[in-house]
Amino acid sequence: MIRSVIAFFLFAVVVCAAIIFRSDNGTGPPVAGQPAASPAPAPQAATPAAPTTEVTRAEVASMVLPAASSRIAVPGQIQAEPTIRTDTHLSMEDMTNNVLAELGLLPESASTLPQQATARAATATVLRGLNAATGGQSAVQERVDLQSLVVDALKAGQDDATIDQLVNAAAIGGQVAVPEVLVTADGRVDTSVLLANIITQAKVAAGQTAPPTRPDSITDARGVEVRLVQAAQGATEARFYTVQRGDSLGAIAIKFYGNVNQYPRIFEANRQTLSSPDRIRIGQRLVIPDL
Amino acid sequence: MLGERHMMRVVGLASVIWAAIFANQALAQDVRITEHQANATVSVNGQTITISRIQDHGHRLTGDFARTSRACPPACVQPMIAARGVATAGELEVLGFLKGPVSLSRGLLIDARMPDDFSRGSLPAAVNVPTATVAPENPYRADILRALGAVEGDRGDLDFTNALDLMLFSNGPWDPAATLMVQHLRESGYPADKINFYRAGLQGWLSLGLSVSAVQNQG
Repeated sequence: MIRSVIAFFLFAVVVCAAIIFRSDNGTGPPVAGQPAASPAPAPQAATPAAPTTEVTRAEVASMVLPAASSRIAVPGQIQAEPTIRTDTHLSMEDMTNNVLAELGLLPESASTLPQQATARAATATVLRGLNAATGGQSAVQERVDLQSLVVDALKAGQDDATIDQLVNAAAIGGQVAVPEVLVTADGRVDTSVLLANIITQAKVAAGQTAPPTRPDSITDARGVEVRLVQAAQGATEARFYTVQRGDSLGAIAIKFYGNVNQYPRIFEANRQTLSSPDRIRIGQRLVIPDL
Repeated sequence: MLGERHMMRVVGLASVIWAAIFANQALAQDVRITEHQANATVSVNGQTITISRIQDHGHRLTGDFARTSRACPPACVQPMIAARGVATAGELEVLGFLKGPVSLSRGLLIDARMPDDFSRGSLPAAVNVPTATVAPENPYRADILRALGAVEGDRGDLDFTNALDLMLFSNGPWDPAATLMVQHLRESGYPADKINFYRAGLQGWLSLGLSVSAVQNQG
């Protein structure tokens, strides 16, 4: 009787440990002694917080099965977790506008953002005043961010493949944050969407073409699914898309809507599948709502 | 003969009385800041600044600060409370702030206007931090926040535990610059209890005849 109880108990602990270490977290088992009630940290980047309610079970697991936790296989994980840092405040529109402004391709009236040089000079002046008042020594720091990386590469005339390498090296190395919509299903940055958007907006700013519209036909039909749904008013089309290798939410938005800024439609329609725009996975089946 | 002497006495007496009144007015300094305080003296960065009020009873505001009506937007009536948790201040609070946190190097009096306006004169001991420089659009705003005492963590987040206390002001209760700056700071994470909002601004300060800093070029 006692033995079967202990056996069931150990089984429950093993299952709990499996659940804990199945979650996509690079850090080790939680430190024993942590109170279970602390709220999860604010959502930041690609790595989600370990569920803190599991702490007490993990405590038990680490006490009873100290070595087993590291040997437990992680079921359900098909591909590597993306290590790219995203910034929810960084929108494609703002970034594209900034890049175009720095390249001098935006008409002056359209740009309400200060030119990089003016912002830098204004900040330097303010810092001088603050240093005089506080006795501090602050200076303007040169920061590497995605925007400056892309601008420098474009000014240097780098080709797309080189830009892709540069951006991905910086993003995967954690040096820059990227807009969520550019993260692909295999954990890279979709620079083709980024560059295509810059080119499109540059043309729009120059007045050469109208803003992008929904494409009449989809050139690449892989993963696309169209179903006829019978409704009271008649049959309507419902479209679904299975995420392919190399897809980012931005690329999918362009594929179906012609415009990367329409990605919220897809995101909102698939909230159950996508916890955030950068968390798309190969094989996910997304609903593509009509415009 | 009698008339001359009499006249001289009258004139002499009148001059003495006149001088007495005049001197009394000058010495009395009847335009005080509060009942118990004629002037305010603050020591900022090793400099001693005396703030007093204009004593001329006939003094009037002239020029831009005498205007009552500007186009809104952008010069709309600003709220009394700039943001939740941010205290609104009057002139006495500003003086207290200068004597307290600013003198102890734990606070800054910040002019949120553009540099051109600032160079034409501002509140004594004020530092110019234009609103646009702490707006999210400024890619270098973190440098300014760090100069105000924020500490940057590993992932770029800012810790404001040791940040300076701030008293913000702009042109007047019709100028959105200070209100907007309060909102930008709050959005960046600056604690509400470290921000103060002097709503009356330079116009309120001048309308009480308080001293302003000289025209200057800082930096």
